[in-house]
Amino acid sequence: MIKFIAKRLGSGLVVLFVVSALTFTLLYTSSGSIARNILGDQATPEQVALKEQELGLDQPLVTRYFAWLGDAVSGNLGASWFTSEPVANSLATRIPVTMTMVFTAMILIAICAALIGVAAAVKRGWVDRVVQIGAIVGDSIPGYVIGVFLVTILAIQLGLFPATSTISPEVGPEAWVYSMTLPVIALLINGVTGGAQQIRSAVIKQLERDYVRTLRSRGIGEREILFKHVLRSAAPAGLTVLSLQLIGMLGGVVIIEQIFALPGMGPLAVTATGQSDLPVVMGVVMYTVVVVIVVNLLVDILNGWLNPKVRVS
Amino acid sequence: MKLGPKAAAAAIVLSASLALTACGGGAGAGSNAGGGTAVTALTLGTLRDITSWDPAQAHVGHALQPYQAAYDSLILREPDGKLSPMLATAWKYNETNTKLTVDLRTDVTFSDGAKFDATAAKANLDHFKKANGPQMAQLSSVSDIAVVDEDTIDINLSAAEPALEYFLSQAAGLMGSPAALGTDGIKTVPVGSGPYVMDKAASVKDSQTVFTAREGYWNKDLQKYKKLTLKILIDPTARTNALVSGQIDATLLDPKNGKQAEGAKMKLETNQVDWSGLLLLDRDGAKNPALANVKVRQAINYAFDRKTILEQVMLGQGTPTSQPFGKDSGAWTEELENYYSYDPTKAKQLLKESGFEGKVTIDVPTLPGAETLISVLQQQLADVGITLKPGAAITNTFTADVAAQKYHALFFNLFQGEPTVAIDQIVSTKALYNPFKNTTPELEAKIAAVRAGGQDAGTLAQEVNKYVVEQAWFAPLFRVNQMYYHNDKVNVTPQAQQAVPSIYNYSPAK
Repeated sequence: MIKFIAKRLGSGLVVLFVVSALTFTLLYTSSGSIARNILGDQATPEQVALKEQELGLDQPLVTRYFAWLGDAVSGNLGASWFTSEPVANSLATRIPVTMTMVFTAMILIAICAALIGVAAAVKRGWVDRVVQIGAIVGDSIPGYVIGVFLVTILAIQLGLFPATSTISPEVGPEAWVYSMTLPVIALLINGVTGGAQQIRSAVIKQLERDYVRTLRSRGIGEREILFKHVLRSAAPAGLTVLSLQLIGMLGGVVIIEQIFALPGMGPLAVTATGQSDLPVVMGVVMYTVVVVIVVNLLVDILNGWLNPKVRVS
Repeated sequence: MKLGPKAAAAAIVLSASLALTACGGGAGAGSNAGGGTAVTALTLGTLRDITSWDPAQAHVGHALQPYQAAYDSLILREPDGKLSPMLATAWKYNETNTKLTVDLRTDVTFSDGAKFDATAAKANLDHFKKANGPQMAQLSSVSDIAVVDEDTIDINLSAAEPALEYFLSQAAGLMGSPAALGTDGIKTVPVGSGPYVMDKAASVKDSQTVFTAREGYWNKDLQKYKKLTLKILIDPTARTNALVSGQIDATLLDPKNGKQAEGAKMKLETNQVDWSGLLLLDRDGAKNPALANVKVRQAINYAFDRKTILEQVMLGQGTPTSQPFGKDSGAWTEELENYYSYDPTKAKQLLKESGFEGKVTIDVPTLPGAETLISVLQQQLADVGITLKPGAAITNTFTADVAAQKYHALFFNLFQGEPTVAIDQIVSTKALYNPFKNTTPELEAKIAAVRAGGQDAGTLAQEVNKYVVEQAWFAPLFRVNQMYYHNDKVNVTPQAQQAVPSIYNYSPAK
């Protein structure tokens, strides 16, 4: 298992390096005069030249990349060109907001999708039909539409929740709960319906396998077959779906955070990209890649733990 | 299976309730939802956080408002644009308008305890000149600053600058503690003499900035609240939701979101700050020979039915105009307002006379959000035989692209500033929006007269305005209404030439 994890971590580092080099090259070669963007439309050519020198934009690309990489390895991701705030600081204040939201949504999706998916697969009949219809309806409504709907009804008309985030250092954890509730619901509805559908298919597939028939013929109870054998075999498919949903959610959360004005990674990514604040954009990209690598690794480990066959292969 | 319908139903109910309760937290969220609803607290929705609290990095309009909370400026700009004493008690030019002598207050201290005096004022102006901030050009005509005595400075100019007093009410006039200028600390925490001090512990970058009233502030008339919160809401939908749900007291919206705010009984203050229209940049025909012909440029102007476009596309939020200079600038004249009335027949006639009939094609980049407007312009120009080709959307390299003469015409919204500000933005050879450096000796003379005009600069700029309108340098369509909404707990006075009012323009509603 340790060898397996080490191998996965190693390939993760290679991916990180390749993505960073590619992103750096693409960003730096396609973004024109950053200095003028920073200084605005009143700037003189002399001001622009001075700013370019300050930012080190007069250096060759390769020199700049390796300087960035060297700093990044030691934990220094540079500072925003617009605000001078260290990128590591920006990420440190924003990742907790985004991650709290994503992981809360993910845990709820996992629980709800598993319960609904298994119920539909085992029960079939009307339960299954309701889940199927729910999946179509849930998949066809984007999260941000749900978000706007929730704000209009629950925040503006009923006043049960704040319309935009109230998260700040001067308020306690309850503000986090109130501010996160609507965004989390907006995020999880698609996930639950989509996840339940996939888990349902995986469980049905297992229930139709020969080994289930054999177990039944030997008189083993349905409950034992389901919990000891079927769910364990269906788990990898479910986990893969959930991990893909989590990675997809990193994109969806950008819009949700904008709607609810949550101080997470979304607004940071949007603002930095719009301004070509390249050190920040690089920081955001690195964070995303690391999350994807870690999630995939965790899913692989969990799969291996649940199903020894995966470990061997 | 042994799971009966009851168990299955229970599973669904359980999961649904888990989803709602686990993340639902509890009841009573509304008690925590409001931010600035107390009479002594003001919460404003702002469009973005500022980049640095160094006063030399201050910008204009909505990017100036946060600085006004923490910093006083030398001169106070009243809502109607009139300049009044603030840290400067009086100021006077010499006869040649090349030296401004400024008398200063003697009873002001900064939030770090340092005293405001002539040396501090000089340190700020010197810092502004070399800090490479976005408005550094405001002091480009200043050659040096001399300390005359403890409460007097002389600002010496290399050439007359009629807008200098205005600049001293803007970014260039903000005064920070001399001990903090140039340090890293002032980038994140302002150190000024303004009506409020930042509550660093309660502020979160890009989310909210919290201020509390400064004890013993010298001008109580400008300090109307005990607490001021600037809540950063980039998304207009979020700003609208925050306003109508009572989280913020006032914010800037657009016509579409404004409808929702009006439905929730929010009050509207409109103010015209920008003009919207075409900039026909290549007036010497370097890349598009047709644009060198004044008759072609005039034909473009006659092709637009400004009133109908404004009603249909902008929901009537603005005023049709043919001139690029603003109503508050002094350069505006009634006779130029409808200089180019809608006259497609005249447009066709002018094109015929120009010899470019059927041969005029104008490429413009697409301005995000203005797609509908551009397609209407395309249609109206096509009706007189001119082809408008919208290209790729402008990107974050826009200003560099303009400077590099990438565009020979543009559709854009531009700020309408003081005469010399506007001239150096769109008319003079150093203006970004004159990338082909078009000029004539006649125009140069008119611009020189404005620069040396002192108090008469506005009136003299009418000549520049007239010249560029007659020569059809642009095809202005309308002055756009900025739509600032607020609730009934606060009174708001709009500020001339600013989409967002100055911080002094808010007061608790009685």
